[in-house]
Amino acid sequence: MADEKQHGSGAVEPGDTSKRVGAEVIRERGVDPEELREKLIDAIGAEFTTYYYYTNLRMHLAGEEDYKEITEDARLEDRAHFELVVPRVYELEGSLPNDIRDFADRASCPDAEVPTPMDDSGDFDTSELEVEDILEVLLEAERCAIRTWSEICDMTRDADPRTYDMAQRILNEEIDHEAWFIELLSKERDDEINPAGHFARGEPGDAPYSTNNRFNDSA
Amino acid sequence: MTHSSDETWTVTMVIPEESSLAAAGETHRIEVAEDETILAAGRSAGVWLPADCQQGWCTACAARLRNGEVVHPHARRYYEEDREAGYVLLCTAKPRADTTLVIDQYDDFLEFRAANDKPPGNSKLNS
Repeated sequence: MADEKQHGSGAVEPGDTSKRVGAEVIRERGVDPEELREKLIDAIGAEFTTYYYYTNLRMHLAGEEDYKEITEDARLEDRAHFELVVPRVYELEGSLPNDIRDFADRASCPDAEVPTPMDDSGDFDTSELEVEDILEVLLEAERCAIRTWSEICDMTRDADPRTYDMAQRILNEEIDHEAWFIELLSKERDDEINPAGHFARGEPGDAPYSTNNRFNDSA
Repeated sequence: MTHSSDETWTVTMVIPEESSLAAAGETHRIEVAEDETILAAGRSAGVWLPADCQQGWCTACAARLRNGEVVHPHARRYYEEDREAGYVLLCTAKPRADTTLVIDQYDDFLEFRAANDKPPGNSKLNS
């Protein structure tokens, strides 16, 4: 066999491990893989912070077991979104920030904090905390996520089917979540029936569209 | 002055030649109501403006005020330094006068935020 390598093609030399064809094919189709990767880090930063903040929001829906259950689904599915996309960041030659404060600062959606001030002892002042206020925080967090993943779908459509597939799966679930919280907030705040068309997930945080392969039960 | 009785203002959007937006090099004038965001009005008028969170947080929609006045009553992360330097977040900005804006200033705004040690400046630029 001659020295020439018949399988070599494109901008990546045969045997070159410093570049990834998986990234270069995206560039060839007009999307900057580095820009996309950074946007993905922002987006999963929001999923990760949301997972954290939803833990707190869920805790404070005290006595509202049905609301807590649905918030738990959204909470766990947001973590599933983070888990789904992390490998894609590394495939695109990125990494998670070493400092979690940087990760939170660059998250593409606002902190979903419990909507009440802290009291003098550093605890949440729950004296005027209303369920409807928590539901509104949850709703607006989901809306932000819908906008973010729609942007990523726009960015990757016709250029990066792998990321697009992930983004549209996540978007499906974020739209579910918005519908759930519209239903709950409508009833709680306005006493209006505004059905989400929601059926219970198979198990908490089932993530029917976005869950990673169930190769690791601890994840 | 085009301020009308139903509280609308003319917003002129200058999209720089070097922008990656489809409308690069164009200037668009839209009417924006007092309670309407400039982003929503622009997109409704068919001008695709950059944005992401639409809650005044991520800064993807950053623009620069050339003249006029806007307010950001619902922005989640907008600082006094931003206002003093004339930066605007279109997603939450509402006009209070006829206004001219330069669109697509995200990269410059990140540098500005970083220089002022405000997020997401350094967390983005030092990654």
